[in-house]
Amino acid sequence: MELEQTRPENPAMTFDEVSMERSKSFIKALQELKNLRPQLYSAAEYCEKSYLHSEQKQTVLDNLKDYAVRALVNAVDHLGTVAYKLTDLLEQQALEVSTMEVKVSCLNQQYLTCQTYTDKEGLRQQQLLAFIPRHHKHYVLQNSVNKKVHFSPQILTDARQNHFQARSRLQPSGSPASKTLSWHLASETKSTLKGAPHVMASNEDTKTSGKSSVLFQLLDKEESAKTRSSGAPAQLSSGGPVAGANMQKFGVPRRVMPKSARTQTCPTFF
Amino acid sequence: MNDRIAVQADWENREFISHISLNIRRLFDFLIQFESTTKSKLSSLNLKLDTLERRLQLLELQVSTATANPSLFTSTTTTSA
Repeated sequence: MELEQTRPENPAMTFDEVSMERSKSFIKALQELKNLRPQLYSAAEYCEKSYLHSEQKQTVLDNLKDYAVRALVNAVDHLGTVAYKLTDLLEQQALEVSTMEVKVSCLNQQYLTCQTYTDKEGLRQQQLLAFIPRHHKHYVLQNSVNKKVHFSPQILTDARQNHFQARSRLQPSGSPASKTLSWHLASETKSTLKGAPHVMASNEDTKTSGKSSVLFQLLDKEESAKTRSSGAPAQLSSGGPVAGANMQKFGVPRRVMPKSARTQTCPTFF
Repeated sequence: MNDRIAVQADWENREFISHISLNIRRLFDFLIQFESTTKSKLSSLNLKLDTLERRLQLLELQVSTATANPSLFTSTTTTSA
């Protein structure tokens, strides 16, 4: 009753007060039950002495019977109170534990959400931060540094398209911009390797890297051929067997490009 | 006559004693049953508390690991900016 009156005043405080009151009442009831034992022992000694020393034994006996009944009822009452308060306390604790479990589950769910968001953001950043080299046409770099940069952006994308197409074994796009040296080589490889799929499957990874190296070597040699007009056929011939050996290594026959195709496909940076 | 009264009183006393002993045995059975139920409730509560404690420890460790590297959260804002 007192607890119900104090609840509407401050709910946050009364919950702790209710739990404290429950604990205190349980301890009090338990203490009273413990105190019953010496009371019953003292009452039993008094009744024994009075029955032995008194003359009216029937009266003492009747009083003893009444006292025994009342003591038993009192003990049952105290035990019931202690049992009820203990059960109530355990239920309260179980309820608090269940509430805590729900809160911990919420926190766990929030953490998993944050983790998932962080992972997705990390993947997105990695995708955005992918380095795509783009070089202006008038930039000239040495052959030994990075042979990729010898490509113009258009040819670079074409090489990438051929790279992916070679991996997926798709037909080339057929657009006019893609008909470069790399495209011709890719189309050549596709036409020759249609009858040898096993070789392609085993050497697919090495083939793409080897193909790019072959492209670099051919283009490198062709550029040097442009700068040196007299030594062009010798360089091509010197680079030819190497390219041919590389291509033969992967089961692809070497193809001699016509001069018109070479001039069209070779990138010009000047 | 006195013997009959004495015997009757004796029988009443024995009946009273049997009633008292019966009730005390019922009280004893109640106490045993109450002890078993309370033990089971306490064990389940203990198990729940242990599980809760382990989950909290794991959560605390995960949060401390996540907060140990705050650049993960700040880098997203810088890249988005």
